[in-house]
Amino acid sequence: MTIETDDYRDVWVFVEQHDGTAAPVSWELLAKGRELADETDESLVALVMGDDVSDLAEEAVARGADRALLADDAVFEPYRADPYGEQFRALVEARKPSIVLIGGTHTGRDFAGRVAVPAHAGLTADCTELAVDDEGLLLASRPTFGGDAMATIKCPAHRPQMATVRAGVFDTSEPTESDVERAAAVEEVEVVVAEEDALSTVLERVVSDVVDITDADVVVAGGAGCEGEVGPIVELAEVLGGEVAASRAAVDEGWIEPARQVGQTGKTVRPHLYIAAGISGAVQHLEGMNDSDVVVAVNTDPNAAIFEHADYGIVGDLHEVLPKLTELVREQQEVAA
Amino acid sequence: MNDGWNIVVCVKQVPDADDVTIDPDTGTLNRSGAPAVLNRPDHNAVESALALRESVGGTVTAITMGPPPAKAVLQTAVGVGADGGVLLTDRAFGGSDTWPTSLALARAAAELDADVVICGEESTDSSTGQVPPGIAAHNGWSQLTYVESLDPQPEDGVLVGKRDVEGGYERVAAELPVVVAMEFGANRPRPAGLHRKIFAETEFEPVEWSASDLGIEDRVGLANSPTKVGGMDTATPVERERIRVESVDELYEYIAEVR
Ligand SMILES: Cc1cc2nc3c(=O)[nH]c(=O)nc-3n(C[C@H](O)[C@H](O)[C@H](O)COP(=O)(O)OP(=O)(O)OC[C@H]3O[C@@H](n4cnc5c(N)ncnc54)[C@H](O)[C@@H]3O)c2cc1C
Ligand SMILES: Cc1cc2nc3c(=O)[nH]c(=O)nc-3n(C[C@H](O)[C@H](O)[C@H](O)COP(=O)(O)OP(=O)(O)OC[C@H]3O[C@@H](n4cnc5c(N)ncnc54)[C@H](O)[C@@H]3O)c2cc1C
Repeated sequence: MTIETDDYRDVWVFVEQHDGTAAPVSWELLAKGRELADETDESLVALVMGDDVSDLAEEAVARGADRALLADDAVFEPYRADPYGEQFRALVEARKPSIVLIGGTHTGRDFAGRVAVPAHAGLTADCTELAVDDEGLLLASRPTFGGDAMATIKCPAHRPQMATVRAGVFDTSEPTESDVERAAAVEEVEVVVAEEDALSTVLERVVSDVVDITDADVVVAGGAGCEGEVGPIVELAEVLGGEVAASRAAVDEGWIEPARQVGQTGKTVRPHLYIAAGISGAVQHLEGMNDSDVVVAVNTDPNAAIFEHADYGIVGDLHEVLPKLTELVREQQEVAA
Repeated sequence: MNDGWNIVVCVKQVPDADDVTIDPDTGTLNRSGAPAVLNRPDHNAVESALALRESVGGTVTAITMGPPPAKAVLQTAVGVGADGGVLLTDRAFGGSDTWPTSLALARAAAELDADVVICGEESTDSSTGQVPPGIAAHNGWSQLTYVESLDPQPEDGVLVGKRDVEGGYERVAAELPVVVAMEFGANRPRPAGLHRKIFAETEFEPVEWSASDLGIEDRVGLANSPTKVGGMDTATPVERERIRVESVDELYEYIAEVR
């Protein structure tokens, strides 16, 4: 199948939202999308789908989108792959975007994987760098082999060029007091899907507020070495004014909530100080913490891989090391006060 | 459906992650030394498939797309209890990205008259997680990704999945046929039984299908893949001090310095 790639224009950002609250990565993508659109001299278009979410479409304009497309209908809340996918397919067919950016969340990946197929689009997974080349082709780069290599993926002959992007990689966009009439830049589109056609039903949805650890300046992360006792992690994070984080092992055990997972299938953090306690240093974990300025490792195993990726390492039991460290920080703070 | 569900489980052969290295001089990947294994998350997929068969009856068929040696991952699946295996192998598949890969698996699943297709969360070698929703999209089937547990309701012809979502979970009832991607670590995969394992390694022969058997020889392979790997660069390794400190007091000094 060959298509006329010149017919495709504009950069779209899928604004992922749940119950009227946007996922933070959506606003990060809007900032990056703005850069790409400026470079290719195209428009930045926010795609907002949901039930009663026109305020989000306006907010997207305030955060830098030239226009917003709004598909507003009860069928779009909560998210389901097939109604979202069918609506998206129809929009892409009618409007032909050149680039589509989607957050690399569970919802974003569920959506992107579904919609790329009927569009016959190229979809690059989990990118951490985005650029355009001289011809305006998207260069989507993703870490592979545990971050040891970066693969740059292009999509020369198919459109749209789609990418999912990891949360926390790009800076967010801020709302501005722009002089555009926000409401005027929002276009409500025709809804082409109906509830009767849906292949699935959401029976129950249990979610609480999601913490965002991606902007933290100090992160104290615990792993399987916590052995169920995460008090030392929490207390050290508290005295340092930082956030608690975890390896996937500690999340799977249920000791620390999933939103705090760092790594390839978790968050990317870029703190000034990252303390990894009881974490072995698997490649999937390192990918999420490699951008930290200073890394400290606490591990009972002197041969743990994490020491190779740390600035300061101490061989010891975290249940002894961390409380002592907490105590020292606390003493110093009292002296200073 | 008195005789249970046709359950298809997708298994991928990958290089053992621990043995893939980067040549520091040339910057190229060295995968040659790495033994090929069953993708770690696919162990969870196989376990779910077997558990599903235990609760609703039916059969479990493992499928893999890959070169002939990929037969080994089918043997692994049969060794723990899958009833049979299908190897999708053909030079025409070479260089497929997730679009044609999911097409081939979708066609095979339809050919097997699947009620449920179970995949892993993502592969450890290219980790896109795009294949399961891709299979669902190609066939117009429902999908459940990031699934923690399954609750089949055969009387209604639906499969209920508990999905991990940001900040919590949701329970979704999906119509059959459905494509499921199990979360990595969602269950404890059972070990292979000795007799079954011997059977898998000595007597079991997979069914082999080529691209033309599936009628997709013109739609797969590098030429039909929208994405092209434009370049592979070694990431600049992050330089770390790697200082071993002997006491907590000393560690504190360093931390106080950087804060
Ligand atoms: C597809 C896929 C995606 C993945 N995504 C992620 C991800 O996003 N993030 C992630 O973290 N992992 C991820 N993983 C899992 C990853 O491969 C590792 O299994 C995981 O990171 C291990 O966690 P851990 O280091 O806490 O546990 P382990 O590897 O079990 O290490 C525990 C460490 O604690 C040390 N220890 C034990 N007791 C103590 C003590 N008392 N004091 C101090 N140290 C102690 C041990 O020496 C050991 O080094 C993924 C895996 C796959 C297959
Ligand atoms: C470095 C690198 C980066 C890549 N990046 C991209 C990219 O961004 N976009 C893209 O479209 N392609 C990409 N590819 C190509 C992609 O790896 C192949 O298409 C691959 O065959 C399937 O993708 P996956 O391993 O990511 O599958 P995933 O979607 O991660 O796999 C999920 C599950 O699907 C099933 N499954 C996947 N493949 C098979 C198989 N061959 N046989 C049986 N079951 C299977 C398994 O159950 C598996 O657990 C990349 C390849 C490389 C080497």
